[in-house]
Amino acid sequence: MAPGMTSPASPVWQRPWARWAGWLLLVVVLAVVPLVMTEFANETLARIGVYAVAVLGLNVVMGYAGQVSLGQIFFLGLGAYITAYGVQEEWNIVLVFVLACLIPAVVGLLVALAAARLGGLAIAMVTIALPIVGVPLAKRLSDFTGGSQGMSARFADAPEGSGLFDDQWVLYVVLIIGGIVFLLTRNLVRGKYGRAFAIVKGNENVASSMGISPYRYKVLAFTIASLIGGVSGFLYMAVIQYTSPETMSFGHSIQLVAAMVIGGAASIVGSLLGGAYYVLVPQLTNLVDPSLTALLQGALLLVVLFVLPGGLVSLPRALTRGRRRSRAGRGPVAPPTTPSTTTGSGTAAEEPETERQGHA
Amino acid sequence: MGKFVQLVVDGLSTGSVYGALALAIVLVNQATGLINFAQGGMAVLAAYVTWWLTNHSVPLILAILISIALSFVFGAVVERWLMRRFERGDPDTAVVVTIGLLTLITGFCGWLWTYNNQQFPSLFPLRTVSFLGVSISIRSIGTTVVIVVAMILLQALFVRTKLGLALRAVAINPQSAAFSGLPVGRLLMVGWGLAAALGAVAAALVAPQLTLTPGMLDNALVYALAAVILGGLTSPVGVVVAAWIIGILENLAAVYVSFIGFDLKVAVPFILIFVVLIVRPQGLFGRKSVVRV
Repeated sequence: MAPGMTSPASPVWQRPWARWAGWLLLVVVLAVVPLVMTEFANETLARIGVYAVAVLGLNVVMGYAGQVSLGQIFFLGLGAYITAYGVQEEWNIVLVFVLACLIPAVVGLLVALAAARLGGLAIAMVTIALPIVGVPLAKRLSDFTGGSQGMSARFADAPEGSGLFDDQWVLYVVLIIGGIVFLLTRNLVRGKYGRAFAIVKGNENVASSMGISPYRYKVLAFTIASLIGGVSGFLYMAVIQYTSPETMSFGHSIQLVAAMVIGGAASIVGSLLGGAYYVLVPQLTNLVDPSLTALLQGALLLVVLFVLPGGLVSLPRALTRGRRRSRAGRGPVAPPTTPSTTTGSGTAAEEPETERQGHA
Repeated sequence: MGKFVQLVVDGLSTGSVYGALALAIVLVNQATGLINFAQGGMAVLAAYVTWWLTNHSVPLILAILISIALSFVFGAVVERWLMRRFERGDPDTAVVVTIGLLTLITGFCGWLWTYNNQQFPSLFPLRTVSFLGVSISIRSIGTTVVIVVAMILLQALFVRTKLGLALRAVAINPQSAAFSGLPVGRLLMVGWGLAAALGAVAAALVAPQLTLTPGMLDNALVYALAAVILGGLTSPVGVVVAAWIIGILENLAAVYVSFIGFDLKVAVPFILIFVVLIVRPQGLFGRKSVVRV
C-alpha cells in the first residue's frame, strides 16, 4: 500500500521525536487558540468538540466494532439531562460529571445485553427505539426533565480571578475533557480491544473460533459508546446550557450517523472531522439560503460520499493516489491499490492503512 | 365493543400502510442487502406529484397511476446512478447515502412546495358504514383492501412470472445469477422501481389522513422498520402481518392503557420488538441465516 513507510529512509515527520514535537505543538496551539479567537469562533469550536466526542463514541460501536447504532444521540441527551438535573439540585459538579458518565453507561449496558444477542440490522432497530421512545418519555417525565420546555443550567462560568471570559473557559473545559476522551479511546482501539473489535466486525464466526466472544465485545463496545455519549452530554450542557426533548430527536440521531461516515468510519481523526461537519454544514447552508438548508445538506452529503466513499479522512490518500496515477499514466499502478479504486469503497483495503499510519 | 372493532379496523388500515412501506424496504433489502431510509421520502415525493397533478385538474385516480409509474422510473434511476456505486462497498456508507437521499428529497419537497400541510384528496368517501351495529369508516376498509390487492399482485409477480424468478435469483446470489446470464444490474433497477411504486401506493392512501407534508412518512418509516424486524427480513408475509399487529396494538394500547396514551404509543412496537427478538432473534416468521466460514 505505502511501501515508503517501512523503508529505512522514512521522512522526517515520521521519526519519533518529530511526532512528539508535533503533539507538543498541537497542545500549545490548542492552549493558545481560545485566548486569541473571537467569541463566536470559540463557541463554534466548543460545539464541534461536543459533537466530535459524540461521534467518537458512535465510532467505537459502529466504526470499530461494526454494530450499527442509531441511538447514540439518546446517550448525549441522557447525559445532558442528568447534568442539568444535578446542577439544578446543586450537587457537586464532579459528582454530576461522574453520574453523567455512569448512568448512560449502565443504560447502554442494559440495552446492549439484550441487543447484542441479535445480529446486524436488528441491533440497528433496537437502537432506533432509544431516540424514538426517549423523546416522548422526556416529555412525560416532566418532574425531572421540565417537559417539552426543557431545562437550562449554567455551571461552566469562568471562575473569579482566572481572568478568562466565559467562552474561553468553556472551550478549555471541552478541550481538556474531550482531549482526554480522545486519547483514551485512541489507546483503546489501537490495542487488544481494538483488534478484537475489528475481528468481530469482520466475521463473528472467525472471532469466536479465536476465542473472542462476539457477544462480550459487542456489549463492551456499546457500553463504551454510551459512556462517551454521556460525556458528550455533559459537555453539551457546559456549552449550550439548555436541553429539551428535541435534543435527542431521531433526526439528530441519523445526522450523527451521517457525520460519522462523512468524517470517516473507524478513524480517530475522522471523528473530529465528523463533529466539524455536524456543526459547520448547517451553519454554512443557513448562510447560503435558509429555505434550502435541507436540500443543500442532502446534496452535500451525497457529493462527499460519491467522491470519497471512505469519508473526509480519506481525502489525503485519494489525492496522493490521484497524483501517483497521473504520474504513472495508465501504466502499472501499484497493484494493491487497484482493487480499492475500482470498488471505490472504504473497506478492508483501506482501513488497515489508517491504523498503520498511526503506528509508524 | 363497537369502539373496539372500530379501533381494530383503523389499526388494520394504518398497519396496511406501514406494511406496504415495510414490504418496499424488504424488496430493496433482499435485492441489495441494505436498508433504504429514503423509502418514505421517495413515497412522499410521489404523493406530491399526485397532488400537483390533481391541482392541474388531472383526475385523482389517473394522477395516482401516473405517480406510480414515475416512482418506478425514479426508483430505477436512483439505483442505477446513485446506489450502484455503493452497493459493493461498506454497507454503512450505503445506508448513510440513503439518509442523504432522504434529506435531499425532504429538502426538495419543502423548497418547492413549502413545509405547510397540504390537503390531499381522498380516494374513498369519508363516510362510515354500519355493520352489525358497528360503524366502520370506508376509508379504512378501502386502504386495507387496496394494499392487500397490491401485495397479492406482487406475490404473483414473484412466484408466477419469469421476471419474478430472475429477481429472486438475484436476491439470493447476485454472482451466480450473473454467471447464468441474468442482467443483474437491470434486475436490481426493477427491484428498486417496484419498491418505489409500492411506496407511492402507500403514500397516496395515507396522505388524505395525515395531510401532505415533506416529513409525512418519517414516523411511518420507523413503524415500517419495526415491522420489518418483527416479521423477519426474509418473510414478506410475516412483515405484513407484523405491520398489522403493530397498527392494531398501538391503537388499542393508546386507548385502553392509560399510562401509554397517545404520546407514548410509539413505544408499543419497540417493546414488542424487544420481547420478540429476545425470544426469537430471527423475527416472528424469518428463517435463521446460516453463514459458512
